[in-house]
Amino acid sequence: MNADQRRRVAVLGLTAPAYLWLVLTIFLPLSAMLYFSFLTEAPFGGRQPVATLAHYRSILTKDLYLDLTWRSLRMGMDVTIACILLGYPAALALARHVKGRWREAMFLLIVLPFWSNALVRTFSWTMTLRGDGLVDRAIHWVVPGMPSLDILFSYPAVVVGLVHAYLPYMILTCYVSLQAIDESLIEAARVLGAPGRTVFRRIVLPLSLPGLLAGTVLIFVPVIGSFMEPRILGGVAGSAMLGTVIEEQFTRIFNWPFGAALSFTLLAIVLLILGLAAPFLRRTLRTA
Amino acid sequence: MKASTKVPGLLSLSLRLYLGLVLFFLYLPIAVMMIMAFNRSSLYLLPIEFDTVWFEALADNWRLIDAGVNSVALAIVNTVVATALGTAAALAMARYRFRGRTLLQLLLFPPITIPWLIIGTSMLVMFFWIGIGRGFHAMLLGHVALSLPYVIVVVGARLKSFGTGLEEAAATLGATPWQAFRRVSVPVMAPGVVAAALFAFAVSFDQFVISYFLAPPGVSTLPVEIYSSIRKGFTPEINAISTIIILVSMALMLAISRFYRFGGER
Amino acid sequence: MVVVVVVVGAYFYLQPGKPTELHILNWQGYGTDEAWAVQIFEEKSGVKVIHDNFNSEQEMLTKLRTSPGVYDVVLINSAFTEQAVAEGVLQPIDSTKIANFADLSAELRDSTRFNIDGKLYGVAWVWGVTSFAYNTEALTAAPASIQVLWDPAYVGRIGWRDDAVESVQLAAIATGQDMNNPADIEAVRQKLHALKGQIKTFWSSEDEWNKFMGAKDFDVATYWSGSAARSKKAFSLPVDFVVPEEGAIGWFDGLSIAKDAPNAEAAHQFIDFMVSPEFYVRWDTDVGAPASSNGKANAQLPEDAMNRAVLGDPAVVARLQWMAPMSDEQRAQYQELWDETKAYFAQ
Repeated sequence: MNADQRRRVAVLGLTAPAYLWLVLTIFLPLSAMLYFSFLTEAPFGGRQPVATLAHYRSILTKDLYLDLTWRSLRMGMDVTIACILLGYPAALALARHVKGRWREAMFLLIVLPFWSNALVRTFSWTMTLRGDGLVDRAIHWVVPGMPSLDILFSYPAVVVGLVHAYLPYMILTCYVSLQAIDESLIEAARVLGAPGRTVFRRIVLPLSLPGLLAGTVLIFVPVIGSFMEPRILGGVAGSAMLGTVIEEQFTRIFNWPFGAALSFTLLAIVLLILGLAAPFLRRTLRTA
Repeated sequence: MKASTKVPGLLSLSLRLYLGLVLFFLYLPIAVMMIMAFNRSSLYLLPIEFDTVWFEALADNWRLIDAGVNSVALAIVNTVVATALGTAAALAMARYRFRGRTLLQLLLFPPITIPWLIIGTSMLVMFFWIGIGRGFHAMLLGHVALSLPYVIVVVGARLKSFGTGLEEAAATLGATPWQAFRRVSVPVMAPGVVAAALFAFAVSFDQFVISYFLAPPGVSTLPVEIYSSIRKGFTPEINAISTIIILVSMALMLAISRFYRFGGER
Repeated sequence: MVVVVVVVGAYFYLQPGKPTELHILNWQGYGTDEAWAVQIFEEKSGVKVIHDNFNSEQEMLTKLRTSPGVYDVVLINSAFTEQAVAEGVLQPIDSTKIANFADLSAELRDSTRFNIDGKLYGVAWVWGVTSFAYNTEALTAAPASIQVLWDPAYVGRIGWRDDAVESVQLAAIATGQDMNNPADIEAVRQKLHALKGQIKTFWSSEDEWNKFMGAKDFDVATYWSGSAARSKKAFSLPVDFVVPEEGAIGWFDGLSIAKDAPNAEAAHQFIDFMVSPEFYVRWDTDVGAPASSNGKANAQLPEDAMNRAVLGDPAVVARLQWMAPMSDEQRAQYQELWDETKAYFAQ
């Protein structure tokens, strides 16, 4: 075997299982859904569906769906930005300013909340954020004159709940990247007289960018389709999102075609945003 | 760790303090969850009346305990399979340019973009059409598919931050590809792989829709029980079992961390 | 190697056994899965009862479609039975095998929703009302009119179920229209929009309703009659159910047998047990339930039981509008109207 053949075998061996798995469980089923999204109704129970573009047309032309999409995108951006602002410094602290056993312990402590059920966590937030709830009472017990903390059933409550759910993603991906930075690089920069800020801007930040981006994708993408946290924590303010509407199309009314069309529009928007951002990101990475 | 001693002490101290605040935020609802497990009111009403009645009820609730055991079993199998497949794919994507690379990258987006409800529904329909049906095998197929993107993205980020320099150096120094992989790539990837495995476990352990659609009647997982209890009554029993799970996994991970450094060696 | 052992081991561990079993598809916590009831039936029949749940009628139909030969008994709201029959997922029921059949209220039992093409596809089981309940500590007198939901005195104190069909139907009743076919849909839209600011939050399940009511989030909230009985009895909440003067939504549920049911014989037995006074009286007394279709069962309830005192009153029943089957288009139209209303609320 020459080097080229060996390379090909290696690639095939490493990627084939993942390919096959994803094709069988994601690609095939979703192709069926994509097909449904161009039908008037789902082909079950003797229904005779006809091909149509009506679902996509209605999504692209009705104000309602544009409004919902915009609200969901804004929610995705708010949550992602909050996660970056909160998570990156935490990852930096963990990777570069905590040592030995402490670091192991902290690392585990950040992962663990993740292993509790999302619904249970969200539900705990309803008790935490409500006026006269557990935290409100604790605050008033310590500082009697404080105004009441009552943000349950509002947009800020949704953001708090989602940031809590996704923050560990950001901390972990950033940590994994930050921790990979070669210490000698930083050492060298310092020896050459670079101030701390420059070291961060020119070495630490660019080298940890892959982790930051991975975290951004893993947060932004699922958040715009989320429906559980908005519904439970947001009340009236959170019940009109793209995710909640998609869910209703499947569970409340038997309108799989329209629900599928909404989902694929969502997927297209995500890919479009990432596609537009990619050249910019690549440039940032290269100049670094 | 020489460098950290040179960082201005104040910055370092405030960053560590900040880390403590972040942990406080992460554990606030967990603490509330645990406290409510000891509150008598089934409607979670305040003030708290201390009682262990929910733990006692849990001891007799075999439906919930069985579901918990099923969840752990499924999550472990899922973690092993997804981490193995995902790490292999991430390695190939980071180290080789090949045709179909972009396709694989694109295939990773649907599982995290399209709401799980729709993926679950389409899996149910497709598995019915092609004869896979419902059962443990079907659940595993679904769970691994949803975990793969997380594994590939996390391991990929780790590999990207490292670059290929070390492996090339090893090759230049005469190491065979296998030696280079074993001695250089594996240690380099390790923290990323561990983080990815933790993700994979979390994804499966919290996965509701897939299990709900693909589990055979009579078999259930913890998330299915929890979500279904929205209808029947979300009682502090669920807080009790969640509390036990958190405490047990905390103890387990701390025990393992005595033998293995999760955070990486450097 | 380890992977293979773990996978194979877990595979066998998670496979269900298959002796004589009866598979039931129902909402969770809706009578059939009461532990004592299952125990009585298992002792009586020697068949093991296994439950699977659904969270919406659509999901129930999907599960039936994609799992032929899995389920025996399935609970179906009468407004959906016709559709299920048309899709061929049900089999006819032999009423001679249901000993209590003769005691069921003729109005429900012989309804055309269950009797299709001369065959019986559902046994009338329970019925109930959807309207609203109020907190007796917040309101001193029972509100007589549905307009209380729009009363500015309760701004931000109303609980509402996040459901398109129910919302449209309640608004149709409030605007004096036929809820199954509102002639003036624009009036319905405006009535729904007028709820802006009134609603504290949406509820989606009985359990959530109880918790919101317990935490004093609601003064008045839309609700179901059977659930109101449970909230009062099992959770000691200070609430009362109202069937307002304008009318309310009436619905009835039937038990059906799935096509290719592996155990149709036991399915008949189980349905018979479910409509028996023996099961129903204990269900309503210990837990709280909707009204039974079996007149003899209702008559055995305590005199102050809501299902006997309120729903047993013919004047109340006369005010109800009964839920009719609905086309997919109508459902989609209501859903869009409701989503648009929610987006308006959230602005």
